[in-house]
Amino acid sequence: MVALARKTLVHEWRRFLPAILAVGFASLLQLLQAALVLGIFGSASVYITGSSGDLWAGYPGTQSVNLGRPISEDIAMRLRMDPDVTKVEPFRWVDADWRGPRDTGGVSVFVSGIDTSPDALMFSKALPPALRARLNEPGAVIVDKADLDSLGVTIGDTAAINGQRVRVVGVSSGLRALGGVNIVSSLDTARVLDVAPEDAGMMTYFVAKLRDPSKAKAVAQRLNGSDAFGPYTVWTAKDFARQSQLYWMLDTGAGAGVLFLAGIVFLVGAVITSQTLIAAVIGSIREYATLNALGVGRGALRKVIMEQAFWVGLLGIVCSVVIGIVLLIIARNRSVPMELHPLTAAACLTLSMALAIVSGLAAMRSLRRADPASLLR
Amino acid sequence: MSVSFQTSPGTSPTLQASGVRKSFVSGRVESTVLHDLTLDVRGGELTLISGPSGCGKSTLLAILSGLQPADGGKVHALGHELSGMSMRALEHFRLQHTGFVFQGFNLFPALSALEQVELPLSYMGLDKTTARKRAIDSLEEVGLGPRMSLRPAELSGGEKQRVAIARALAKQPELLFADEPTSALDAANGQIVIDILHRIARNHGTTVLCVSHDPRLVGHADRVLAMEDGRILSDHVPDVSQPAAPEAKEPSA
Repeated sequence: MVALARKTLVHEWRRFLPAILAVGFASLLQLLQAALVLGIFGSASVYITGSSGDLWAGYPGTQSVNLGRPISEDIAMRLRMDPDVTKVEPFRWVDADWRGPRDTGGVSVFVSGIDTSPDALMFSKALPPALRARLNEPGAVIVDKADLDSLGVTIGDTAAINGQRVRVVGVSSGLRALGGVNIVSSLDTARVLDVAPEDAGMMTYFVAKLRDPSKAKAVAQRLNGSDAFGPYTVWTAKDFARQSQLYWMLDTGAGAGVLFLAGIVFLVGAVITSQTLIAAVIGSIREYATLNALGVGRGALRKVIMEQAFWVGLLGIVCSVVIGIVLLIIARNRSVPMELHPLTAAACLTLSMALAIVSGLAAMRSLRRADPASLLR
Repeated sequence: MSVSFQTSPGTSPTLQASGVRKSFVSGRVESTVLHDLTLDVRGGELTLISGPSGCGKSTLLAILSGLQPADGGKVHALGHELSGMSMRALEHFRLQHTGFVFQGFNLFPALSALEQVELPLSYMGLDKTTARKRAIDSLEEVGLGPRMSLRPAELSGGEKQRVAIARALAKQPELLFADEPTSALDAANGQIVIDILHRIARNHGTTVLCVSHDPRLVGHADRVLAMEDGRILSDHVPDVSQPAAPEAKEPSA
């Protein structure tokens, strides 16, 4: 079989370039948009995904991890009573106000009070043990390196949180927050910083480690059975992380924005691609008509067009993947929150291929003009 | 060149039109292009339909080759009745039995001469080796053996038309239709092309039906049908002694 579609694509690449670029840009936009949205809203659940706890117990009905309310210490007891639970650790969340040494005004910060022991669950993936140990000093805090500027501090500087003196003892990376700045401290420091009287002696969450993490769902269901120790809900870490991200995505309207933008990108890409493919078909219409005169069926000619659309899609996708990887690397080096899972990437690329195929279908219609009788003059 | 009367009665016609009518409507005006036209074309000879432009000769070719349906009448080609066939059946018939050469060469710019010729063959279901061999043979037959790897942009007009002929010829069709095959060519190339078409009719026993208003071709045809206003005015064997004589241009009945 003579590879008509491919040879034409190579020979007349200038003609097809706009279509390839359109698919490429559409694909790149979808990829970056997805990566950015996932990256930004992924940081809504960094407390969960950065820790190694399997279960989270918190105030009933909490929609997102940043909306936690104090729960009774007794709930830790209830968790410990379960035979599958090997470890329970408290996590104290304090909404606070930051005053830096430089003129930064008030900054809204979220203080995470965590267990500072080397084998603790909270932020085990984000803070190495040595850094964590520095928090044992009273008033010691760690901030994300990307937030140093907005807080107006460097390592070693002192500042005030809720009027209490704190000292920055180190920086972390990957702990950026949504709608504020994350500050990590020890549980003791957090208790001092928490000035609300009703919170005294109350923790926000209890994080539990299981003997067999694969049983998390079943254990969470079992623990949710009774209220004997006070009101609480237990989530698996995965569920709670997803719930927090979804909350942010829907609460901010970003979800609808993403879908809307994806639709626009798809539409614009499809218009450019289909117009280019149509022009290519019209450009060869006499040749197609000749083939039809020689008995090559319309179906076979349509297949040539679809094959061209497929190659255009594939080339566009390859371009977007290459550029996308470069941009993701740059973004990562600059602490821009971007995250792309293989499944999301696959969905974006499938959408781009669908764009090319839909354009091919549109271009196929112009084959109707390939009437061999019109060649007779 | 040997032209004889062996083309007269005896050889059975491969292409027959009886009472073929065709008219076109533009706006409210209906103009009849073919008036109850009846015609037999025989195999193994080059039949030329000549006439001024607008006389309906191209329409006749389109109907005889199954590219366009007639409004009335019947067309028999190789024993098949074309009039009632579906589009798909007509495509299949054309794929199996017909070749076309047009005034424009209609070659794909991206393909080499060899690939142009191979392309329709691959749709006929021939295996790669057979298709390749047939394509090479046809290109050699039209004298393009050494230039078969070139693309259209690297070929002259005459060479392009020979590629187009090879593309039709490689299908080994029983019916070969040519529409103004020499109009875009200079005298020398026109001569080569018409000689090739004539040779195909002789050597392969193909029915070659050529439509042209080019007077140079008259002397090369085995039979000339002169058309005017949708009717055939004359049907004669051209005089060999004066191949391209001006008076042969518009023969009178």
